[in-house]
Amino acid sequence: MVHCERASKPLLQCLQKASTKGLPALQVSSTRTFQTSARVQEEAQSEAQKLPFNKSPDPALVSSPRLERRLIRQGISPVGSRRRRAALQGSANIPFAQLPYQCFQEARKVLLQDREEKLADITRLREKISRLEARPTEEAGGEQVKKSRLGGMQKHLEHLKVLADINDPQVKKKFEDGQGDMSKPIYRYLADQKWREYRRKILVQRITQMKVIPDVLPHCDPIVDTKLYFNRSAVQPGDFVLANASTTAPKLDIQLFEGGEKLVTIAVVDPDVPNLETDGFDFRTHYLAVNVPISATSTKVDLAQLSVESQVVLPWEAPVTQKGSPYHRLSLFILEQKDSQPLDFAAVKAKESVRDNQLLRTLQGRYHLKAIGAHLFRSQWDETTLEVMEKIGFPLADVELRRKKIDPLPYKRRNPSTFR
Amino acid sequence: MRPLSPVLASLANVFKIPISQTLARPAIVPGPVTAAAQPAAARTFSSTNALLKRKQGAKTDRRITLIRYFLNHPLTPRPLRFSRTRYLRHWTIHRAWQLFQNQQRRAQTLELERQWHAMNAACEELRTGAGDGGRLFRKSMNKRGVFRDMFPIEYGRLQTDTPAQEGWNHAWVRPERR
Repeated sequence: MVHCERASKPLLQCLQKASTKGLPALQVSSTRTFQTSARVQEEAQSEAQKLPFNKSPDPALVSSPRLERRLIRQGISPVGSRRRRAALQGSANIPFAQLPYQCFQEARKVLLQDREEKLADITRLREKISRLEARPTEEAGGEQVKKSRLGGMQKHLEHLKVLADINDPQVKKKFEDGQGDMSKPIYRYLADQKWREYRRKILVQRITQMKVIPDVLPHCDPIVDTKLYFNRSAVQPGDFVLANASTTAPKLDIQLFEGGEKLVTIAVVDPDVPNLETDGFDFRTHYLAVNVPISATSTKVDLAQLSVESQVVLPWEAPVTQKGSPYHRLSLFILEQKDSQPLDFAAVKAKESVRDNQLLRTLQGRYHLKAIGAHLFRSQWDETTLEVMEKIGFPLADVELRRKKIDPLPYKRRNPSTFR
Repeated sequence: MRPLSPVLASLANVFKIPISQTLARPAIVPGPVTAAAQPAAARTFSSTNALLKRKQGAKTDRRITLIRYFLNHPLTPRPLRFSRTRYLRHWTIHRAWQLFQNQQRRAQTLELERQWHAMNAACEELRTGAGDGGRLFRKSMNKRGVFRDMFPIEYGRLQTDTPAQEGWNHAWVRPERR
């Protein structure tokens, strides 16, 4: 293998410097190409790389096994494959935005100009909004008119923010690499689109086909992406979960696609508890927590780690299914509290102490909640259920349910008198 | 005997080549080759045609066969495969082109709207500002006799955005009626 790092590295640095200094209009920032921001980290890097290559090898360019080993011993792993690194040594290493293709550069000009227009639109709209806010309500045409106009303008402003960045190839690349910053509207928009393309469809299909939607709640339009993990393994919506896996409370990953913070109530309801007296099924609440804060950037919620004093109303109860009973649907709902106002925890705790037959519809009406997310898993009798039942002290662990045998209708003669 | 592919069979059907008749005929192919290929005992005791004996359930859909045929055809161009950077460049250019077209369309629509409003304002001015009680306006809006007695020469051909390549054909004369 030819080791040309030593020779090519300083040359490359020179080239990079010259190209960035020579074209001040084409500055490259790490997050957005179209943004014009300061280049601080670039200068900081050049200070550190004064040493010769064999003393401080670059993890993005190193290709000899000896230097790689040295890097690994230092705790830095080389970037990409050795083949890629070796190829990068010989390449001109031009930043993406400055690639010398005429059509591409013309296209960038068009896109940049459009972005400028969009930014101007945004500032104009912001001024308009502030002017409307400053006007007295009577002059603006009443409370309702002013509110609806402001709401419409805010919506349009959010749309413009997305439009300003949606044509940026660097944004697309970052999003595809999963490095999107969820505090920015464009990445939230892209993530929302991706979620709606497949995962949301699956979720809605499962909760409607398994009749969770009319059984537990009358209606739910999911707007947050919910992932559910039992012992660090993800559960697809509607999966069967082993009884011993679900003894501990699950972890949730609730991705909000809007800015700001929301306070939500999380409830896990089982609508399939067999009731032998009425020959029907009852509800049972397995978990209830209120005042859980979620936002686009802080998505992880561990149901076992929520505060007992201020959030958890009913702690996690392991779902078990009696032998012979049909599978239980354990539906998890994320309900938005009205205006993101916290509920009075003590009052809720005092009122909602019963697990059996507590309808989620009642809670929804009582506390003005709105379902914004859902998830579903199922449990059935399996080989670990008995063990779990004994551990949690389930009362009817030794009972096996059987279908009621229906007596057949009395035998009818094939040729009764009415036939003749 | 190998069965013909459905494509070939359909082609043969179109061109009236009697290949399909050979399929209908009982396949009596004496010879050491087929005898070696098939188990001899099964051949002796069965009077069924080998083609008929085959399972009917395993037939692929004709459409799938055709799709496969055309996808695997040597004249079909290979799929477009780009590297990451090249795909991003392609995407950038594509987005810019879409944006440009959108801007153009928007400008055209706005221009048309502007023209329509100007015409509207002119008519309104004629109706109210001419001082004849709107008589001129009513006259101008009158559609009586339009396209009845005379037909505008401009509408003799389809209206286009740009002039024709060869311009006006001055040498044209009306063909004489006999």
